[in-house]
Amino acid sequence: MQSANVLLKKILRSSVLPFAAQHGMKKDLFPLSRTLSLSLCLKQDNSGSPSERLDLDAWKKVMKSGLQEEDRCETVSEPKELSTLAAAREILEMWRLAGRSVPEDISEEQLKTFMECPSKSAKKKYLKYLHIKELYKKNDKRKMDEKRERRLETQKQASETDVTKRSSFICLWASSMDKAYNWRVAQSMIFGQPLVFDMSYEKDMSIREVANTVRQIVLSEGCNRRSVDPFHIHFCNFKDDSLYHKEFMKHYREAWGKLLITVTDQCYTDVFPKDKLIYLTADSPKVMKTFDHDKIYIVGSMVDRSIKTGVSLARAKRLGLETAALPLEKYLLWNSGAKNLTLDQMMHILLTLKDTGDWKKALEFVPKRKYCGFVNRPVHELKRTLNLINTLKVGKRQEEVRKQFAKNYPKKLTQK
Amino acid sequence: VQPPEKPLQAEEWNRLRESFQSPEIFEEVMFNSMVRCNSSIDVAKSLLTHVAKSNGDIAYNLLVKYLALCVQQGQTSEIRDVYDIMKIRFRILESGAYNLLIRGMSNSDQWRMALTLLEEVKKIMTPSRTNYESCIKAASRHQEMDLAFELYHEMLAKDLVPTLDVLQAFFEFSRGMKGAELQKELFGILLYLRDNQLYPHKTFMQSIKLWFESIPGGNWRGQLTNIKDSGQCPVCNHQLEDSNLTEEEYNNLKERIIRDVIHGTDTFRKTSPQEFEAFQTFVENRLPFDIVIDGLNVSHIKPRRMQCENLFDAVNCLAKENARLLVLGRKHMLINSSNWKREIMKEMQNKADFFFAENISEDDAFLLYATLRSGKHCKFVTRDFLRDHKACLSDSLTRHLFRKWQRGHQISKTMFLSVFIQQPASNYDCVVQTTGDTWHIPYKDSFEEKYSYRVPRKWLCIQQK
Repeated sequence: MQSANVLLKKILRSSVLPFAAQHGMKKDLFPLSRTLSLSLCLKQDNSGSPSERLDLDAWKKVMKSGLQEEDRCETVSEPKELSTLAAAREILEMWRLAGRSVPEDISEEQLKTFMECPSKSAKKKYLKYLHIKELYKKNDKRKMDEKRERRLETQKQASETDVTKRSSFICLWASSMDKAYNWRVAQSMIFGQPLVFDMSYEKDMSIREVANTVRQIVLSEGCNRRSVDPFHIHFCNFKDDSLYHKEFMKHYREAWGKLLITVTDQCYTDVFPKDKLIYLTADSPKVMKTFDHDKIYIVGSMVDRSIKTGVSLARAKRLGLETAALPLEKYLLWNSGAKNLTLDQMMHILLTLKDTGDWKKALEFVPKRKYCGFVNRPVHELKRTLNLINTLKVGKRQEEVRKQFAKNYPKKLTQK
Repeated sequence: VQPPEKPLQAEEWNRLRESFQSPEIFEEVMFNSMVRCNSSIDVAKSLLTHVAKSNGDIAYNLLVKYLALCVQQGQTSEIRDVYDIMKIRFRILESGAYNLLIRGMSNSDQWRMALTLLEEVKKIMTPSRTNYESCIKAASRHQEMDLAFELYHEMLAKDLVPTLDVLQAFFEFSRGMKGAELQKELFGILLYLRDNQLYPHKTFMQSIKLWFESIPGGNWRGQLTNIKDSGQCPVCNHQLEDSNLTEEEYNNLKERIIRDVIHGTDTFRKTSPQEFEAFQTFVENRLPFDIVIDGLNVSHIKPRRMQCENLFDAVNCLAKENARLLVLGRKHMLINSSNWKREIMKEMQNKADFFFAENISEDDAFLLYATLRSGKHCKFVTRDFLRDHKACLSDSLTRHLFRKWQRGHQISKTMFLSVFIQQPASNYDCVVQTTGDTWHIPYKDSFEEKYSYRVPRKWLCIQQK
């Protein structure tokens, strides 16, 4: 073993650095724990005597032997006091080594956000979020690279068999489609039915919720633009220096000024006659029966991760507006999940209703995990059959079914 | 994977590793299962040696896992060795390793090392409550009560919540020790239980009892007992504190309910300003009530019966002794329907005052307001636990006040063969309490009580002879 140690020191003194760097797997650990690739020589060492007695503490020697050398070359340049940011970075690095979900790269800004997290669990959550984001990013990059490689290959093949195709259209699909879409949206800005996004929930949301909201609105705007008969979208109560605005700029950049929508800091009650407005909210006691082409529907631009019931209902109440909820229970056998839908789902549903008036088609856009299937008869009839089944059945099962039913159809609905 | 029984040679490990489905994580998985099976550390060492020899290094997470194994088996010298190695290898350690190190060292005769480690942790982050727990337990096990209390106060100053285990350790290890200062500290812990409405479990209670009885020259005697409904202790005939809040607490709670529960961030969320004002004038004109009833909640007690009949029964049952009743409901109750018959509603309105809120308003908030406004004698009837309203209150002190008030003023009803059984509000307050020469301590039978709203029925009565 002594010989192994000597060998080890020798290797250290000679230039291990390039060798270790080649050793891809350990590259990440490199600054903190020098990797010494001893495998080759040690293996040779042992192979001669398989019956040799095991030295159980040999690992300690290996671990300790490397460091004295390391100390010599490293401690000199190390500043004694670390700034708090650097210290945080170091802790993160250790957590990563310990196998926690921590991102590999973290920017200065993210590090600051991390340190401002109020509690340990908040920190953990934030790190996990960054970690997962990083994983996605890496995966995407890998896929892109693969794709590029494949494309290059096919190009190569194509250039070998040099055939140019002829057609009567110049290949400008994307831009001409854009033009066609924009024409339609421009039409809708003059003649179309307005749809209002109420942008007054900023203070009810966290920064991440605002970012999610804006993302959903961008998606909705996209699908509105591509639809046959688009809405005329209004962003009401929109403040120019708000978080919403900042997030929109991130998504649209210079296209923000060219969007074919109406953005105003006025309230919808100032823009439209009050009796035409209907505020859509899942908390509404009224259930929407049909889509009215003369009304102006309002959607609250809010993502609500921490269940804040009645925020948008309160807003409508304050302004004395009519409210409505989608008839989810009437048409769907609800399974689980909240009844509030994302903004782009709302947009899909409203567009489909506008075009066809078919609830079944429209409610296809409700996520499948949230419901078991469509109800073809009204709920009260269903309830009657359920009761009948229950009275026929005796035993524990009955209570179970009743509970399940009560869960899916709360009192509010069954009372009527 | 099953860890091997005996230490293996390098090539044997290699063979195992190759037969494993994903060799990259073989060591990690193997260590995990060693910790789970509590394998001998020699086996772990042989794997470490193998790793060290083939890679020239051992990754941090493997060291931590090995450390976990050592801590599990109380191998103090190994723990120290690992610590030394980690210390020279890495500039700082992370919380997982520190947790293990502190736990491992505090259980050994080198427990002072745990304190040094705690200091080290403090430099990079706030130690967890289990870190403190280990150190405090180690200190008190070695009769260093001053040190233990110093750590305890430090922990409280950092807003960490001590476990019942830590608190028990103080009583356990102070048994028979003398000192006025120590006694004061331990009384302080009992008052901590009181302030936070915590209840000791049975073994903890035994520690408290034994400590009291062991105080030299204290002449304390403890006895287990059940308190009567009247709130009198059968052992010492002492009357327990009643559940009423003080004038100040009461006003404070009332204000906070109006501010946080009814108005909250937006008055429109639960009611509307007009409606709340109308309700306020309604209540002011008819004050004071004796019992406020949550009409809708009570009407659902028996699901097979008509809802208004349920309510009718409740009103009849409560109206007997000339009590002034207020029933809160919603407007939809006034519409003649299969569940709400107009004649019955009419009859009820002769016996009690009714207030009907909008169908989309929250009547519970009104219930709380009306009860609090009527004064301390007023009780309310609902089966609801009012958890969501408690959650609206912004600080824990007010939440505790709310719970206390609720215990004293809520009448919940259960239905048994169509007869109402009233579960009366309790007359005495269920917290640790003292008069100087007596202590009354409620305790739970088991460590984990399932329901937080249930208060213990069993008490420890301690008196000084």
